[in-house]
Amino acid sequence: MQRHIVSAVLAAAVLLAARAQALGVLRVVASIPDLADVARHVGGDLVEVQSIATGVEDIHAVPMKPSYAVMLNRADVLLVLGLEAEHAFIPGLLEAARNPKIMRDAPGYIDCSVYVRPLEVPTRLDRSLGDQHPMGNPHYNLDPVRMKDAARAIADGLARNDPEHAATYQRNLTTYLATLDAAMARWQQEAAPLKGKSLVSYHPDMIYFAERFGMEAVGTIEPRAGVDPTPAHVEDLEKMMREQKVTFVVRELHYPAGLSETVAQATGATLVQLPVMTGGLPQTQDYVAFIDYNLRTMLNALPGGT
Amino acid sequence: MRAIRCACWLLGAGLVALWLQSARAEDPSVEDLQQELKAMKAQLQQLQDKMQKQEQLIEKLSKQKAAVPAVTPVAAAAAPTPAEEKLKQEITEQVERDIQPALNAANKTFPSQFNPAIGFVIDTVASYQEHGGGNFEFRSGELGLSASVDPYARAYAIINGSDDGIDVEEAAIVTTSLPYNLTFKGGRFFADFGRLSKFHDHDLPFVNRPIVLDEYVGGESQANGAELSYLTPLSQYLTITGGWYNKIGADNERVSNLDPRPLSEFTYLVKPATFFAINDSNSVDLGVTWAYTPKVKSFTSDDTVFLTDGKPRDLWDFELTYRYIPLSQASYRGLVWGTEVLLNHETWNTGTSDMAIFRPEDAVGLYSYVEPRIWRWLYAGFLFQWVQSLDRQSPATLAYSPYLTVWPSEFQRIRLQYQYLDAPQNHESQFFLQWTAIIGSHVHGFRDR
Repeated sequence: MQRHIVSAVLAAAVLLAARAQALGVLRVVASIPDLADVARHVGGDLVEVQSIATGVEDIHAVPMKPSYAVMLNRADVLLVLGLEAEHAFIPGLLEAARNPKIMRDAPGYIDCSVYVRPLEVPTRLDRSLGDQHPMGNPHYNLDPVRMKDAARAIADGLARNDPEHAATYQRNLTTYLATLDAAMARWQQEAAPLKGKSLVSYHPDMIYFAERFGMEAVGTIEPRAGVDPTPAHVEDLEKMMREQKVTFVVRELHYPAGLSETVAQATGATLVQLPVMTGGLPQTQDYVAFIDYNLRTMLNALPGGT
Repeated sequence: MRAIRCACWLLGAGLVALWLQSARAEDPSVEDLQQELKAMKAQLQQLQDKMQKQEQLIEKLSKQKAAVPAVTPVAAAAAPTPAEEKLKQEITEQVERDIQPALNAANKTFPSQFNPAIGFVIDTVASYQEHGGGNFEFRSGELGLSASVDPYARAYAIINGSDDGIDVEEAAIVTTSLPYNLTFKGGRFFADFGRLSKFHDHDLPFVNRPIVLDEYVGGESQANGAELSYLTPLSQYLTITGGWYNKIGADNERVSNLDPRPLSEFTYLVKPATFFAINDSNSVDLGVTWAYTPKVKSFTSDDTVFLTDGKPRDLWDFELTYRYIPLSQASYRGLVWGTEVLLNHETWNTGTSDMAIFRPEDAVGLYSYVEPRIWRWLYAGFLFQWVQSLDRQSPATLAYSPYLTVWPSEFQRIRLQYQYLDAPQNHESQFFLQWTAIIGSHVHGFRDR
């Protein structure tokens, strides 16, 4: 009897594993939903995409669950935001996944930052300066133009792993880039009232968004990326914000609300609560909707709204 | 002399006259200034007009582009003309020529680039024990090295220096590209026995290693040997590990690593481990380990001779770890409840060294701790321990330990722990203050999660 049960379980496992291969699709795992959404557009019917993060997490603190190791074990391709953004969970999961196809530097490991020009690249590496952004600021997923570079990296990566369909990936890429261009033209128009406004966020993750839409990110509640705020730093920050008449305090949804509210109240800035990844809220289920939501939330928060 | 003085006066007067002249020449008149201001205003006006025209043009173009969203993708996908292709190629070649010197510089390699990642951990403990007194203990300075060996393996070493000397805690080679989800490890490493016996001292969630792991395993599960691990191809996470070692336990004095032994005196291990996600925030890890030594020889430990009759030893470990980690607040909130129960079965001499009476004994020991994360940098915890002596010749040991851990950053930790110890012939309060810091490379290993 026991032998029969064991045989049945093993047969089911083999069948499950064979199913995706029989369908002829590339199994793609993305570290965050933003990359998963782009991969769905670029890969179309040729890919089956899953995301490790759901969008509500802090990308620097996604929990390492063994079930993710299983997901990675079966992947043909892994998409990462890169610039060490996923340092807290991807290296450990890769070790547990035992999948040579997606190990770092293997063809299946697609670093989506390869064509991206990062901001805030440190000139000196020292942990007294914080440690979460050693390769430059990795939160470029908040910039739709830089995400076009990520889409190019995804198309190239998919073509590298599935050369037979390279032309399809390039065609899908062109279409998706045109969609992003059209959305970008609309966003630029809509964002006109935000030009010249300044913001302070909890973590340094809003600089790409600010730069793209003509705003200025002038400070953060964290003194350094990943370092908890101190009373002295908050005091200095509030002083600077009052002097510069900062318009917004952005609270990323995975950070505590209390301190952001206090800083906004103390300085007269408007508190805005934003997701920093696609899927961070129910109304941000795809990348365009995510940027749409963030932009409209900021516009609505302007004195008098828009 | 008089002539020299006159000459000096004349020279001085001349210099003053020259300075006044030049100063007057640099000083513009009010009329000049007004003219310059007028010219600047005109230039500014021209620039403003130009900017306005450009902004109008940009706005017009943007409107045109936004007005044709359905057509744009198709238009963008249209094939470029030969002239466009040629221009694109020329620009690409020019850019490549421009960046080539920088690429060449960046592509240079140095022998040092193959150096392993290096990290160093400093672990110090100040303690006070009611009967034993106080002590500042430099517990360890631990050097960690790791790197890929080649496309097929990686290697790592943990070298520990303490008041007891320098010791290679781990030095192992691990395969990275075996087929069928297999991983093979060889050398000296922490055997995959239970959960916390694989943690280095400074990585433990409390100051000291649980008593049951010290007594039953011999501290850390250090072993010289080989281990094969298999991740099953099921949708449910399930790993199975098989191991073959001289012995398990850094402080296990039953077997010497220096002397060869028959196959019956090695220790063999089997461990299945799995994971259940209750929902996005709640999960449970479960594992069972069986370490089997077919024949236990007589040994000396702490100057005491333990006689055996060559019967086997079975050491079982049942582990359960429950985690609550809310996804959106993973850096601020959470809770871990970890429990390990160990069962040892072996034959002990209950007589004297002259007249041995061998009797098989089962001994059980456990620890259980709960550790809520109160804030990003603050954890509180409570550890409960209950351990029977291996030979069952003395009463069980009981201990309770509340503790508080503060992380000023990810790389520095301060921990305060109180322990009430109720051991045979020792009932006392103990206080510990631990300060740990990490410099250099560090990784968030899957094993240490």
